[in-house]
Amino acid sequence: MSAVRIHVPPVRLAKLLRTPGGLPVADAIRRAGAGLESLRGECLTELKGVLDSAESCAARGGAQYDRALLDELYTIVATPIGIPSVCGLASVDTALISLSDLLDYLKGQERWDANAVAVHLAQAGTQAILAGLRKVSQRYARPETPTA
Amino acid sequence: MGLNPESRARFNLERASVLMLEESTMGMSILVQILTGFGAKTLHRCETVEEAQATIQKVEVDLVIADALGAEGEGYDFIKWLRQSRIEPNCFAPVLLTAGHTPRDAVSKARDCGAHFIMAKPLTPIAVLERILWISKEGRRFVECDSYMGPDRRFKNEGVPAGTLGRRRDDMPAEVGQAETPNMDQDVIDGLLKTRRVEL
Repeated sequence: MSAVRIHVPPVRLAKLLRTPGGLPVADAIRRAGAGLESLRGECLTELKGVLDSAESCAARGGAQYDRALLDELYTIVATPIGIPSVCGLASVDTALISLSDLLDYLKGQERWDANAVAVHLAQAGTQAILAGLRKVSQRYARPETPTA
Repeated sequence: MGLNPESRARFNLERASVLMLEESTMGMSILVQILTGFGAKTLHRCETVEEAQATIQKVEVDLVIADALGAEGEGYDFIKWLRQSRIEPNCFAPVLLTAGHTPRDAVSKARDCGAHFIMAKPLTPIAVLERILWISKEGRRFVECDSYMGPDRRFKNEGVPAGTLGRRRDDMPAEVGQAETPNMDQDVIDGLLKTRRVEL
């Protein structure tokens, strides 16, 4: 049995959070939301690139199991998880998570299933991203409302 | 938890030093927007484990937000390194680990790395703030032993696992021994539970 030491270290962050000043929760959430909103266009462009890379990587897959290819595809699709939701495309996030699960499962089974991967990529797919990109460009195309 | 997003309660992150480990540029931008929205000003952005380790050795950090970093989970290894580094006070810093996807063979690594909380992406401002406030609570016990160093992962005490003696000084044996003092009278127990009018 190993020796166990249990103690309560001081947490400086707790004291800092309590210092006077700072922000009300509501304002902080609103400011963070506005910051994320400003990333929307950039996120969509990045996402489009990611899905293009994923499709070309998956297309290189033959009939046989290829561990290196699966690892590469897993990295491509798992890394951007979280970005689609910032663009209001939560369904794309769901598809990326599901595809990561599938690839993880395929790695475990040492199998390759091109159809299952293709279905996921179509679901995550470019249509949703393009729709998002269109929304962003339309927002900029709208005439500015005159200010009083 | 359940933080009200309309709450006017204040918190102050202005003087907190935050280390962020995130390899994806967009992932980093998302985190930066959330934290600057919260008022944080000192952000140490690290894209690799090596950068994060160098930062830990140079500056004092109050909060670490690290991504799991890919299928191999280098982010988990970084947290384990941080805990075992003995670089005080950084090795005790609250750690929020984020992960887009956790492969099955990395689940135990994620559980045992010593993070305070693991958050699944996508990140939302309210969820991140809730977790920051939660992990920064004082009084959390820290466990150090050969196989684990990090915050106490026990949230409820269900006793020692069956067939074991327990490893802690305050662990109680599963078998209840003989009472050392007489039982309380039923009248005394009733008296303790009886509702009484309070005169002010």
